[in-house]
Amino acid sequence: MMNPVFILSACAISPQLSFDVDKFLNPIITTDDGKLFAAEPDYRQFINPVAIRRMSRQLKMGIACGMRALQLADVSMPDSIITGTGLGSMTDMEHFLKDMITLEEEALNPTFFIQSTYNSVNGWLALQTKSTGYNQTYVHRGFSIELSLLDAQMFLNETPTSKIALVGSFDELTNDYFVVKSKCDYWKESVPNSLKLLSYNHTDGTIAGEGAAFFALTNKPKPLSCALLGLKLLNLPSSYDFTQEIQEFLSQHGVDLKDIDVAILGKNGDASFEYLYDPVVAAFDVETNVLAFKHLTGEYPTASGFALWIAVQLRHWNQIPEPLILKSGTRPKRNILVINHYILHTASLMLLHQQ
Amino acid sequence: MADRIVVTALGILSALGQGLPDHAQALQNNIHGLDHPQFLKTIHAPEFIMGEVKKSNDELATALHLPVGDNGYTRTTLLALTAMQQLLDQIETSLLQKETFAFINANTVGGMCSVEDMYFDFISEKKEGYFVKYIDTLDCAESTENVVRYFGLKPHVATISTACSSSANALILGARMIKHGLVERAICGGCDAMSRFTVNGFLSLKNVDKFPCKPFDQNRNGLNLGEGAGYLLLEKESDAKARGATILAYFSGYANSNDAYHPTAPSPDGEGAFRTMKQALDAAHLQANEISYINAHGTATANNDAAEGKAIQRLFGNTVPFSSTKPFTGHTLAAAGSIEAVFSILAMQQQIIFPNLNFETQMEELEISPVTCLQTNIPIHHVISNSFGFGGNNVSLIFSKG
Repeated sequence: MMNPVFILSACAISPQLSFDVDKFLNPIITTDDGKLFAAEPDYRQFINPVAIRRMSRQLKMGIACGMRALQLADVSMPDSIITGTGLGSMTDMEHFLKDMITLEEEALNPTFFIQSTYNSVNGWLALQTKSTGYNQTYVHRGFSIELSLLDAQMFLNETPTSKIALVGSFDELTNDYFVVKSKCDYWKESVPNSLKLLSYNHTDGTIAGEGAAFFALTNKPKPLSCALLGLKLLNLPSSYDFTQEIQEFLSQHGVDLKDIDVAILGKNGDASFEYLYDPVVAAFDVETNVLAFKHLTGEYPTASGFALWIAVQLRHWNQIPEPLILKSGTRPKRNILVINHYILHTASLMLLHQQ
Repeated sequence: MADRIVVTALGILSALGQGLPDHAQALQNNIHGLDHPQFLKTIHAPEFIMGEVKKSNDELATALHLPVGDNGYTRTTLLALTAMQQLLDQIETSLLQKETFAFINANTVGGMCSVEDMYFDFISEKKEGYFVKYIDTLDCAESTENVVRYFGLKPHVATISTACSSSANALILGARMIKHGLVERAICGGCDAMSRFTVNGFLSLKNVDKFPCKPFDQNRNGLNLGEGAGYLLLEKESDAKARGATILAYFSGYANSNDAYHPTAPSPDGEGAFRTMKQALDAAHLQANEISYINAHGTATANNDAAEGKAIQRLFGNTVPFSSTKPFTGHTLAAAGSIEAVFSILAMQQQIIFPNLNFETQMEELEISPVTCLQTNIPIHHVISNSFGFGGNNVSLIFSKG
């Protein structure tokens, strides 16, 4: 089995006030229209202002988030840059595609085409940090950030010397995307206030969201760093014994469901996915802290990046924001399990340990 | 010595045909697959030649026993399924039922080839219709998931998108997952169907040639786009031998390194290409002069060939023959790395070096020039294959005979 890797820093741009703030998810941002857009930071500290003007929202979010994660870890040049995105830059893709159709394939602006490339954030981060190391981009729906983390764990296990991997994810919500996926019944027809999403779990569908999350990972433990012990990616047939899979994963790491201090669940208010989480929650210790987050971020393929960001923040703030809590417990916050299900029948598990 | 990674099965589909014999036949007889596209409905079709797979969607679907018409399968997926079928025909199906394996796919624009014709239906709020079954093809993982579903497989899945180096990266990931013991075997490669989106994207960058492309030529004028799919089965040498499999090649080295120079252009001195090839040689424990053939990225764009040519000259001098096979297939983007990995293996098997078609005039900034005629009876022990993508994503793969 691979050795754990250690999270030196975490940075998130999300619909919440998560970027460089002096409070932990306070105040909470809500919406009534079923779309949670990110609260964007001032990008000028992270990106050349001349370049900013041509960049799409997602490119800016990804670059700024990645650069800030490196700053927080006091790293100027990572040894590798690995990212995941389910959707890539929707804005650039839409722009180029609509122009192509309406202009009938003539006189198109290449900027949107270039920026629609899924690894454009990676390329820019390499450019800005002068990092010529290993550089990879995963684009597999609800597995995108997980595959990036798995790759980083492999990368950091491939060398005895101290290395830094910058790992991150980004997905962007657009109004077009919202319409497109409404035809696949992704979203709730009757939309509650986002903060009430999880108690509105008697109807199908969820609300839409977006965000970026970046982490500096290393193979050498540092004091107080959060360890990523392992992760597992699961394809879910309908009658799957989800709880048993989780137990098997935990036992490989010498942990039992009863040892989990904090569980962070990817519940998204969709009635059709509740069955997955219920038996797992029942199997935890009565004093396990059970948290959820998609009422704060909305659903998107790399939402588990935000869950990982929360996991890292728990130690920093030494408290759990009230709106995250599904079930409060008295246990310390050492063994953290992230369980995320994404709409297209994938689920992922991440096991973390706060030293 | 650590267990080596070997290639034991492969599937390939491009403008040259379907399967290894078709490709060997074309490559040995200077028969390229470029023509004005028959199936891609672009206004640029009469003006530009491209490497289109010579089968309609219905023909591909019929061969796969799928319904014809709007069946929910994009051309991207149909290309992937066709190449995968060939690979799976070479192995016992039980092999993939018993042990853990990975399917690592690569792709640049998902099902854009279908989506682009329906997009305004997609985004019009009230509109419903057959197009709805194509909605989830908007993302890159659609072909990966459809391959898994069609063949009833249960692999660890991953989809990579790093532009033109995507499937070369898929091969690296597969080898690494096997080395880490995460899986026993990995089927790795990529697929891309031409789309108006991609064709117009490259046209907007003004680096597409209307005529057959001329890699490493002083008067090169851009690339020809292509499409296709290629997949290779990777496993440990000991596992392959234990099941009596024929070893097609050893996957002896690889490197991924970033240019960190410009969003789309390579470093003009070829520093990134040089570093990547050097790292791959180091990983394979080989010296430059031990390489028998360089299968260059060679897109025939001004930037790539200048950078790659300088890097080849600096690292290999004029001692190692090189050529680009893009004039045969067009640039198949995400599929290029795996298709050219297959060509590298073919070169070793047949002891041949493929010609770099259309080369006429020596590049001023280089002292080296590519192989222009088919070379036969050349003992080939090690081949290095390059794939360089947007975002400075450079990959070199080394395949060896034994």
